[in-house]
Amino acid sequence: MIKVNIGGMNTKEIKDLVEKFAEGKIEVKITSDISGVQEVLKGDADYYLGACATGGGGAISMAIAILGYSRCFTASMPGKPPRKEEIEKAVQDGKKALGFTCDHVQLAVPLIVQAILNNPSAK
Amino acid sequence: MSVIKIVVVAIAGALGSALANRGIAVYHDGLRPIMPELIEGRMKRAELAAISFGLSFGLVIGFGIPFSLTSSIILVHSLWLGTDIIGTWFPGTFEKGWMKDKKSLWGFIGSLVTGGAYGALLVIGLQTIVNLFEKLPINFFGTLGSLGDPIIYAFAIFPAIAVAMQFGIGKGLITFALTVLARQIASAAGLSSADGIALAVGVIILLVFAIADKPKNEKKTESSMAALFTERAERIKKNLPYIALMGAVYGIACNLAIMMEGPQSITTLAAGDRAAATSITVARAISFIPLKAMTSLSSGVFAIDGFGFVATVGLLSPSWIIAAVAGAATMSLEAYSLVFIGKLLDKFPGVRNAADNIRTSMTKLLEVATLVGSMIAANSMAPGLGFLVVAGAYVLNEITGTRIVRMAIGPIAAILTGILINVLAVVGLYIPAA
Repeated sequence: MIKVNIGGMNTKEIKDLVEKFAEGKIEVKITSDISGVQEVLKGDADYYLGACATGGGGAISMAIAILGYSRCFTASMPGKPPRKEEIEKAVQDGKKALGFTCDHVQLAVPLIVQAILNNPSAK
Repeated sequence: MSVIKIVVVAIAGALGSALANRGIAVYHDGLRPIMPELIEGRMKRAELAAISFGLSFGLVIGFGIPFSLTSSIILVHSLWLGTDIIGTWFPGTFEKGWMKDKKSLWGFIGSLVTGGAYGALLVIGLQTIVNLFEKLPINFFGTLGSLGDPIIYAFAIFPAIAVAMQFGIGKGLITFALTVLARQIASAAGLSSADGIALAVGVIILLVFAIADKPKNEKKTESSMAALFTERAERIKKNLPYIALMGAVYGIACNLAIMMEGPQSITTLAAGDRAAATSITVARAISFIPLKAMTSLSSGVFAIDGFGFVATVGLLSPSWIIAAVAGAATMSLEAYSLVFIGKLLDKFPGVRNAADNIRTSMTKLLEVATLVGSMIAANSMAPGLGFLVVAGAYVLNEITGTRIVRMAIGPIAAILTGILINVLAVVGLYIPAA
């Protein structure tokens, strides 16, 4: 089972979306940003998702601090909706923390879930 | 055009990019955790500057400028996200005696000058656009101010929404009812600040729930991390004089209503409701404490605007001189309390979760309130047509991937309505009301 932690803003909405698109293959839990990311660092969880107003600020700032910038990815920004290819590539490249804007929750989450399901080896 | 406005924003810009250049403080919450990579020598300037540009540039255009334009007050995002880019772009080492290093010195001075020029140009540029709008035959700019009205009243309900998010619909409804009750009692008693009182009641209920909430499965911050936090907090304390100076400038800017901290407060301030703007700054600052404190503690780099209470004291100060002193004191206190706050947040994880929910609920309310406010404002410019344009633009933006921030699409559509009626008037398709 792939484990995904969620922190930051709009957590409930993101959790529901992950569950809706995960086809029962993802165990999802709402955490604080710090403990959620620490679990990813230790390998207790596989991915961390977060939303904020900008996609790169509150969403993944603690992930950047704990996991390092190279393992974090901003999937969408104001004015820049999420793109399927970019998210696919990010997951393949081993990005573990993905951030997006609150505006783009409905667009980004299904793409991210799909990318994670398509790349079981990236786990 | 106000010279004072240009000077204040230029100083705030110069200082902002200088602080970013020296790794003392940055505005973007996502840039802060990356700063140690640069300071401790694991990342090159060019790489960081590219990241900083990627993080911030779109926000300046998509978030900062729209609100600055519609309110004629500089939203701090449009200034300090820009100076983040400028400051990280200019060279500079972090070794002792960097001032003797020519390249670092030029980087520092270059940041000051460029940041100052950026601030000045930002004000001049925005003012020029506003002046052009005001020269149009049908002046719609006065009407735009009213788009903030719904926010002034709707904002007080955000704690109830946040309670519902975190503790369920039952507690949310109770908070909702108590907020409404408090507002109406205050209003019936003839108090002028009924909305402020309602907001205060809601915030208190939310905090009580949050402090009482101690999830068992939540892990404490690990002790090794706590040690790192203390070490990096020391770095911030060493830079206190510069941070205090920034606090003074920011305090003045808020006192004179030249700059403001967020979309909610800027809209209410532009609508002339200083009291509402003040209470919003308090709520916003509270909601950002965990994020800003934790990113500062983990990086040793402070936030350019502190937690945000400088905006509050700036608005409350009776004069700009007092605002300067109070701003400096407030920001120093924020920086000084970092370790204490870090420990406190560790003790009350419910408060940290509440902060995220506060930010979510404020955003959702603002989206609805600006949309309704924009529709009303646009409709008072052009009856009938205003509703059509704003509603159409909002949905069009939604179905095309929300390219324009949801909070900003309404105000932008309202401006477009204003431009549109001017164009239509020229070709005789719009007859202005007498």
